[in-house]
Amino acid sequence: MKLQRLRVTNFAAVRDADVTFGKGLNVLYGPNDLGKSTLVDAIRMVLLLPYTSTSIEQYIAWTGGHEPMVELTFETEQQRIWRVRKEFGRGGSAVLQESKNGQDFDDVERARKVDGRLREILRWGIPEPGGTGSGKGLPTSFLATALLSTQSEVAAILGESLQKDLTGSGREWIAAALQAVAQDPWFVSLLRDVQARRDEAYTDKGSKKAAKGSVFKVAADRVKDTREEKDRLQKVVDDSEGAEALLRELFQNRYEKREALARASDEVAILEKLATQAADRSAAAELVRCAEQEVERILSLAHEIKEGEAKAHVFLSQVKEAKAAVATAQQNQSKAQLALKAAEQAAREKADPNINETVVRQELELKIAAADRAAGIAQQSLDAAHNAQQLIHAAAEVGRKLGEQEEAAAIARKTSDEDAEQEEAANFELLRCDLLERALDVRLADSRVVDAQVAVQKKSTVQQRLDAVLIERASLIKKRSAMKLPASAAIAPMRRLAHEIAAARGTLSVGLAVSIEPVKPLDLRIQRDGTLLEPTVAQQPLEVEADTALEIGIADVATVRIRGGRRDARERVHVLEQQWAQDVAPHLAAAAVPDLDGLDSKITESVRLDAQVQEKDNESQAFEAQLAPLAEAARELQDAMQHAALCRTAIGDVPLEPLLAELELLGADPVYALRTRRGELSKSVVSARARATESARLYTLAEDRTTNLRGLWEAATSKRDEALATFPDGVDAALSASERNLSEASSERQNAGADLEALDQTISSQKRIIDEAAISARTQLEIANADVETARQNLTTAITSHAEHTGRLAELQKRRDAEDLSAAELRLQEAKSHHAALPIPERNATQDEVHMERNREKAARSEYEANESEIQRARGRLEQVGGAVARERLRDASEAFEQAERQEKEIEADYEAWKLLLEQLKAADSAQASNLGQALAPTVAGLFQSLTQQRYQSVQLGAQLSTEGVVVHGAPRPAALLSVGTREQLSTLYRLALAEYLQTAVVFDDQLVQSDGNRMDWLRGLLAEKARIFQIIVLTCRPSDYLGTATPLSGAPNTHTDQADGFIRAIDLGRVVQRH
Amino acid sequence: MLKLLHTADWHLARRFPSFPDEAQKKLSRARMDVVASILDVARRNAVHAILCAGDIFDDPQPAPEFWEELARTLREHAVGPVPIFFVPGNHDPLTLESVWAPAHPFRSRLPKWVHVVDRDDFSYELSKDAVLYARPCRSKAGETDLAMALPARAAGDERLRIGCVHGCTFDVEGYQTNFPISRDAGLERGFDYLAIGDTHSFRDVTAGSPVPTVYPGAPEPTSFDEAGAGNVALVALFRRGRRPRVDPEPVAFWRWLDLHCRDLNELRRVLTLTDLDRHVVRLHLDMVVSLSEETEVERIVRDLEGTHATHGRAGVLLVERTNLRLEIGSGDAFPEDLPPVLRDTVARLDQLVASAASEVEKSKATRALSHLFKLLQTQHASKGRAL
Repeated sequence: MKLQRLRVTNFAAVRDADVTFGKGLNVLYGPNDLGKSTLVDAIRMVLLLPYTSTSIEQYIAWTGGHEPMVELTFETEQQRIWRVRKEFGRGGSAVLQESKNGQDFDDVERARKVDGRLREILRWGIPEPGGTGSGKGLPTSFLATALLSTQSEVAAILGESLQKDLTGSGREWIAAALQAVAQDPWFVSLLRDVQARRDEAYTDKGSKKAAKGSVFKVAADRVKDTREEKDRLQKVVDDSEGAEALLRELFQNRYEKREALARASDEVAILEKLATQAADRSAAAELVRCAEQEVERILSLAHEIKEGEAKAHVFLSQVKEAKAAVATAQQNQSKAQLALKAAEQAAREKADPNINETVVRQELELKIAAADRAAGIAQQSLDAAHNAQQLIHAAAEVGRKLGEQEEAAAIARKTSDEDAEQEEAANFELLRCDLLERALDVRLADSRVVDAQVAVQKKSTVQQRLDAVLIERASLIKKRSAMKLPASAAIAPMRRLAHEIAAARGTLSVGLAVSIEPVKPLDLRIQRDGTLLEPTVAQQPLEVEADTALEIGIADVATVRIRGGRRDARERVHVLEQQWAQDVAPHLAAAAVPDLDGLDSKITESVRLDAQVQEKDNESQAFEAQLAPLAEAARELQDAMQHAALCRTAIGDVPLEPLLAELELLGADPVYALRTRRGELSKSVVSARARATESARLYTLAEDRTTNLRGLWEAATSKRDEALATFPDGVDAALSASERNLSEASSERQNAGADLEALDQTISSQKRIIDEAAISARTQLEIANADVETARQNLTTAITSHAEHTGRLAELQKRRDAEDLSAAELRLQEAKSHHAALPIPERNATQDEVHMERNREKAARSEYEANESEIQRARGRLEQVGGAVARERLRDASEAFEQAERQEKEIEADYEAWKLLLEQLKAADSAQASNLGQALAPTVAGLFQSLTQQRYQSVQLGAQLSTEGVVVHGAPRPAALLSVGTREQLSTLYRLALAEYLQTAVVFDDQLVQSDGNRMDWLRGLLAEKARIFQIIVLTCRPSDYLGTATPLSGAPNTHTDQADGFIRAIDLGRVVQRH
Repeated sequence: MLKLLHTADWHLARRFPSFPDEAQKKLSRARMDVVASILDVARRNAVHAILCAGDIFDDPQPAPEFWEELARTLREHAVGPVPIFFVPGNHDPLTLESVWAPAHPFRSRLPKWVHVVDRDDFSYELSKDAVLYARPCRSKAGETDLAMALPARAAGDERLRIGCVHGCTFDVEGYQTNFPISRDAGLERGFDYLAIGDTHSFRDVTAGSPVPTVYPGAPEPTSFDEAGAGNVALVALFRRGRRPRVDPEPVAFWRWLDLHCRDLNELRRVLTLTDLDRHVVRLHLDMVVSLSEETEVERIVRDLEGTHATHGRAGVLLVERTNLRLEIGSGDAFPEDLPPVLRDTVARLDQLVASAASEVEKSKATRALSHLFKLLQTQHASKGRAL
């Protein structure tokens, strides 16, 4: 850790300070009482003290007024810069920020969480605030003491150890640092090598690395690859051996199948032979049968020819009979033709009607036409009469409706007028209500004017009282301002200082007794404890006593001053007195009081004055609060008056008094009453207006309907009158006459129609008789024609049959002439001989049997061929995979796989062992480093020996870094027995050694005030050397102790001066610290 | 007299998956290198023909680099006009896709005096008095006796007849799928010499017969169990009826050696063996050693194996450490002036060895001690000091 910047505001005596630290040795110098220790305290507080802690009280600025603020920027590692800012006190705050560049900071924690995080960052062995064991005040720990010890206890580290730390973080940090540094280089190198070997195979968490390229992965991949290759080849070999086994089996099957096939084939051959014999005999028998048939056929031909000749005679007689039948049919045909001609002649003659029938028919048709015309005329008359009758009825109906509509219109008009009157009345009421409201406005405006006048009066009174209070307050403030006093909280430190001075002076009050034995009379001027006694001439021995100091002036010979107490006590008194003079005396002088009691009473008075001022403030605030709402009173009055005038104008000429009287009648709340009334009136007006509108609309509608009906009535009346004009005898008489005429015409037409129908029936009957006779004659002719045709066909058939039979007879006769009966009989004889010569089979083998046996043979052959096919397939498989070739490769692959497996196991065991070795190395290393004192003591002792020029052989530190003592002449001695200066030096070396191991800043506050020049020179050199390794901050009033000849001259232009490449920085606190 | 060089089983492009990568390359290259040696032997012995009885390649379709290199070697190491006959074997059978197929580019690269037996009725008149009959394998396995499939001597044929096929004369009964060859085939088919290939060791399988049936073996061994490998057969045929003379002629570069060392002395003696650089050594370490002895074991192994900086004494080394065991615990291997932290580490590991619940744990702790011991030695050595 390195401190970068410290800013302090209102912290104890320091009003403001801003220190920028260098990277190495920082010598912050300044005179006593400048606030150096205060800055160290500020660092301690900002790092360790929660901002809400009450322990900050002693650091509250002595002048009061503001809360202390400290801001510290520090770096824990490269690009890890922190800034903590705390404003202490009740209203305080805390924030922790982080930055990479020291410029841009981001908030990390705020408020109470800041300290927890800080302690985590510092690792000083201090628990989180609020945790178990954490106290309420400023926390402390071994490292807090070592790195930030107080000026009053520079050697405090020698009495501390890690034992008291509340958490282990400090110990762990030191252990880690000591372990890292204390390790033997050989061991470190070895550890690094082992770690590297272990890291080749394992992750940080200790699991096996499985990424590509890792040793386990490579080995596993090799095993996997070789296994896959082996498995693949094993499969090939399995296939191959399977194929070989199959082949063996198939070869064995092949013999069986072949035997089975041979057996089946033999059986087929035997059956086929039997079947062939049977077939041969059958064929010979067939030949015999055929020969016998041939002989029989030739013999049957002669018989057929004889029968054919007899049939030819029959067919000839049938031809003759058919010819006679044709002649008879032709005669009948001629007769039928003559009968048909006669019937057709009779029909033609009856086809045209006679003259009488035609005349009668025409007369009847004329009668019917005349009757139709008379009926039409009668119907027209009847329709006209009906029409006229309807017009009369319609006109009467329209007249009735017109009367009704006129009555309705009259009612609607009356209703409309009434509604209009009601609307007008409601509107009047509404206007009245308006007037009342305006009157009410006038009354309210008058009232507002009165109120405004009252407010104006009140404002004037309050203003006068406020002015008086302000005058009194100014007087009090003036009186208080005249009192120059510190804050009341500052009294406590002042009293502590007074007590410290008293105590320090007490150490000087040792009691002095001086005996003077004059040889001759002496003029003596004795000043005892600062009090000048009366001058005296001593001639006799004289003894003078005092508490602390005596000053004896002996004539003009000498002045003897005798002081009580040791030098450091006197210096202490001096320092305290200087501090008194600097911090307290000015306040006493300013307050014009002799002592702190006077100052206290002054402060009490000032507090009283402050209270009075506060009281006046309260009063003035109360008056101001009263005045605030009255600020606009005058303007309000003016506005009210203008408003009242406007309200009166709104009423116009209407007398106001009646309206006001009416308002009185409205009760206590005329506004509400008027609003209610207006609401009701508005509703009435709206209702009346709606009714009037509706009744007006109904009236208008009724008027329109009346007008329309009147038009209709006039048109109906006109048409009725026009229709009645065509019936001079009345409509009813015309209607009766027309109905009668229509009835007569209908009767006439009906009679004529009946006569005409009877005539047509007579004519039609005669024509039907003639037609029937013609049809009968035509039928007779057709029958005769058919008979002729049938007779002709019979004749043709008879002739054809006779011809065919004659032809066939000739053919038979020709075939009979061509046949050789003797040869046929000879062939028959030969066939019978051949048949008799054939062997008779042992048994009858049927074709089914042969067929079945053939199927059996076929199945056996199929099985044999399937087996052969299997053999070929197995052979093909084997040829592809290659039995011996595959086995050779499998052997290689198996060896490779086993080799890879062995390698994998070897690698695994190897790296497991590396891992174990690393664990044991670390465990041993950790065990070695657990005795922190053992690790740290040699360094401290080495420095101490060098400082003391081997006066001390060694320094003994405990396991928890407690200082056990130093070894002198081989014997250990407690450090407490060392001189103060040596203890300070030992403490310094111890703290430097720790800070170096931890690579962190260490703060020395006037650490080496008791060192002699030689040792100081040595220490200066050491600090300059260490400044190149870590940050050292020294606060001193003697900069030359640390800077030597490089001490900057007073009055240097800058606040700080850098030397040794910036590794040494001298900071003039007189320029960076502003005191109150 | 007709002189022949009979070889087989070159197994070019064979892989050696059990060996480290570098050794695999060495062994694979040796297979190609031996071809030139064979041709040199042929030249020196003025043979009339070179017969290669199968398995020239380890696979019918080797990578081009192999057949290209073979073609180049045959061209560059030509033995005059002496014909060379390649018979496809069961490892590199003649198929449509194989390297021996007439359409394969390898064939076009071959010199004209190289003849590939790519027909079943292959015959070649080596001289007016001698004729060669050969028949190829057409698959990786087969039941056909290719020797018996060669034409029999015709009546009145008085020429020297040489047969050349690939197959196995000692197939197990019932498993005769590796092109079985009848031992009487040479006699039955009227040959004077039957050149065969398949077995990697030199072997005359018909020593008592007037017709030699000979395996020349692989010219470069392929494994540790091929005792008679590394030769070609030089055959001298005098006249019909007289048994030809067959002599093995070594051509191999590598000798394959299995060494078993049961104590440190035996291991030390390995270093005294000569010509180790031409040996493929499989070293079986079967011994119990202390931490310091283990260091010596490792040193000897390193000497044999070589490092990135030095060549090993052995041409190729395989170390079988399964039976190499460490004595339990640190013993007195570690010096007493070790830094305390290291002393403590050794003590802790010794404690783990003593309290180990299983042999595995014990072995692990012992191995960790071994690591530490060797690491300390290495670091001391790098500083020029002895531990």
